[in-house]
Amino acid sequence: MFKPFHEVVSNVSKTILKHEKELGCPVIGVMPAYFPMELIDAAGGYPVQLWGNNLPLGKSDAHLQTYCCSVARSVLELELIGGAKMVKAYAFTSLCDTLINLREIYRRLFPKPTVELSIPFTQTVEARRTYLKSVIRSVVKGLEEITGQRITPDSLAEAAHLHGRTRALQRKLYEIRREKPGLMKNHDFYTATKAGFFLPAALYNEMLEDLLEGLDKFPAPEGKGLKLLLSGLVFDPIEIYKIFDELGVHIVDDDFANGWRTVSKEELQVENLVQGITEFLFNPAPCCCVYNPDNDRHPYLVDKVKKAGADGVLFWYTKFCEPDAFDRPQLINRLKEMDILAASIEVELSMTSFDAVKTRISAFCEIAEG
Amino acid sequence: MTEFKAFSKMKELMTNYYIEAKTTKEKPIAWITSGAPVEFLFAMDIIPIYPENYAAMCAANHQSIELMEAAEAAGFSQDICAYARTDFGAAMTQGGPAGGLPPPHFLLCSTNICKTVIKWYEVLARNYNVPLFIVDTPFLHNGLTKDLIDYTVTQFIALESFLGNFLGRPFDRDRLTKVLSLSREAADYWKKILYLGKTIPSPFNSLDSFIHLGPIVTLRGTRECVDYYKLLYEEVAERAQKKIGSISEERYRVLWDNLPIWFKMRRLERFFEEKKCTLVVTTYANSWGGLSNFQANEMNDPYELFAASYLNVYINWGFENRIKYLSQLIDDFSLTGFIMHSNRSCKPYSVGMYCLQGEVSKLTGKPGVIIEADQNDPRVYSDAQVETRLEAFIESMEPVS
Repeated sequence: MFKPFHEVVSNVSKTILKHEKELGCPVIGVMPAYFPMELIDAAGGYPVQLWGNNLPLGKSDAHLQTYCCSVARSVLELELIGGAKMVKAYAFTSLCDTLINLREIYRRLFPKPTVELSIPFTQTVEARRTYLKSVIRSVVKGLEEITGQRITPDSLAEAAHLHGRTRALQRKLYEIRREKPGLMKNHDFYTATKAGFFLPAALYNEMLEDLLEGLDKFPAPEGKGLKLLLSGLVFDPIEIYKIFDELGVHIVDDDFANGWRTVSKEELQVENLVQGITEFLFNPAPCCCVYNPDNDRHPYLVDKVKKAGADGVLFWYTKFCEPDAFDRPQLINRLKEMDILAASIEVELSMTSFDAVKTRISAFCEIAEG
Repeated sequence: MTEFKAFSKMKELMTNYYIEAKTTKEKPIAWITSGAPVEFLFAMDIIPIYPENYAAMCAANHQSIELMEAAEAAGFSQDICAYARTDFGAAMTQGGPAGGLPPPHFLLCSTNICKTVIKWYEVLARNYNVPLFIVDTPFLHNGLTKDLIDYTVTQFIALESFLGNFLGRPFDRDRLTKVLSLSREAADYWKKILYLGKTIPSPFNSLDSFIHLGPIVTLRGTRECVDYYKLLYEEVAERAQKKIGSISEERYRVLWDNLPIWFKMRRLERFFEEKKCTLVVTTYANSWGGLSNFQANEMNDPYELFAASYLNVYINWGFENRIKYLSQLIDDFSLTGFIMHSNRSCKPYSVGMYCLQGEVSKLTGKPGVIIEADQNDPRVYSDAQVETRLEAFIESMEPVS
């Protein structure tokens, strides 16, 4: 059932080139995180999400220090080695200091246009509304210049429906994972999620519908395994999920920026786009990169663990991600106060040896199993 | 450090400030970021406390390692800003100079220096269970725009309400106008002091500017701050007039980009003096002087003035403007080269530096060097590596003609 998704993830460039040709739309690389794909689709672009890759880092070292995260370094590496030739433009958000400056680096190094959705980090509602209005105006103009097409109310509504459907289907997949632990291998689940980063939304929706139909036929597997919830920015390196599968551990839910934090977003409301994008950026799942004290991560995560029936939380720390690193100690303390087991592992997207990670995961699982 | 008579005045000023902050029973305490609009606090008799300054003091006093280790033992990664780790450690252990900082009644944070401060202050807000007000000043990818000014102004008006509600009395706009005027006057003196560095030999170097930075960061908006910088200005101006350099012989004149390496100030001072190299100007210390570019009489609306000045800081600029500014400083100060501190603790300053170095060198024809270090964490610093790179760089420069 997961074979088509694996094929996509194993052949990313080929997949994108094929669909670019079929659609005749310019490919727009979307940097982390929360840039609404809907806007790109509505402008006649083909959004492809870039959450980093496992390329060996070489050329990017001339432009980014080793203390930058492997997400930034690897996406830049891809462009520098010519692996992103099909990408005609880039869409950024002001998620963190590194990504803000990365956009500036792209503007100096490459002729490809960039747009940025600047996220207002204020609790002043009126300021947020008026600023976001100007930001959206600028993003829309930038996208229209890139694609040469206007975003119309109809194209926006259609794109919103398409991507809203994607996330609704993904939520269904999450629900099955929670309710039938072990039915899907962890590696399969994240492969299915990851494939969506590169496929046109309409096609991806069809694939998800087929998958869900297939999965529906199966009951929850017998037997018990350890149930974990993962939290972090990005869920890669995807190879690590094979370790969980080998250990018989079921990841029953997650709190990844490119996982549930995005999947949880309802259909973008386009009648009032400013209000719609405000809702899209700040709700429903909180994120370490998006300041929103009205949506506190602490009670949220405790509640999420309980609802998922997880035995513990593993924080998935992509090295050098400061927003994630700042939140983690207090979050772990809070979970421990609630008698929820929590620990963290450090990962880098470019890592090739997973022995240390395996040891860490095994140790955590042994403690969790008592 | 160049000897200035005014130094004792600064010590007195800063000591009195910390004593008042530690002992006050009447005035509320706000912890605030170095780029935040402190004038609002002085207008309401609130004492501003700067965790950044305190962290720098800890490092300069060689106390940062034990404090950072305390924070790391509590789970804070070595990957996060060393200032934040130092402060978290100081709060946990009551360590550091003067036994830590007085606890805050609320927090004020502006994103013009980085987005990381949001995370740092979120941790503080949770630790101290106090409110946090954020003034968001987005990155100027394309320079200052009306939309950005409007956005910031709306937040200032909200800040006014926040302060009024917090203190239970109306915000004092008349007082703000007076504080603003004092703030700009102090910034103006500070800028004039820094720009005396154009004199050859330079009477005041960047290491001096790091030492004398305290009042302009913490006390701008007060009469004492103006008086202090007026005094210092007169002294530096006299040295400039008499052509007294800050080091005994000046053969090279360079720019320093990024924060100082607080725990190596003395060693680097000796190193540069031996090499007959003056650190003439720094983008970091200049940031507060830049506030004087926005004078109260230039705009009808003081809030727009505030917004423009607090948005328009070097570290919040797109690279096009950074390159122009660096090149302009190299020309204006007759520099022979520039040093860029790739600072592990400060990504907005450092990420993209490799790109800037090449472009600025190309534009000015002057050599530049990047050193890998950290503002506060001695454990990631190597004397040998840094000094070897600096020696090679100094040898590559043409001396002052």
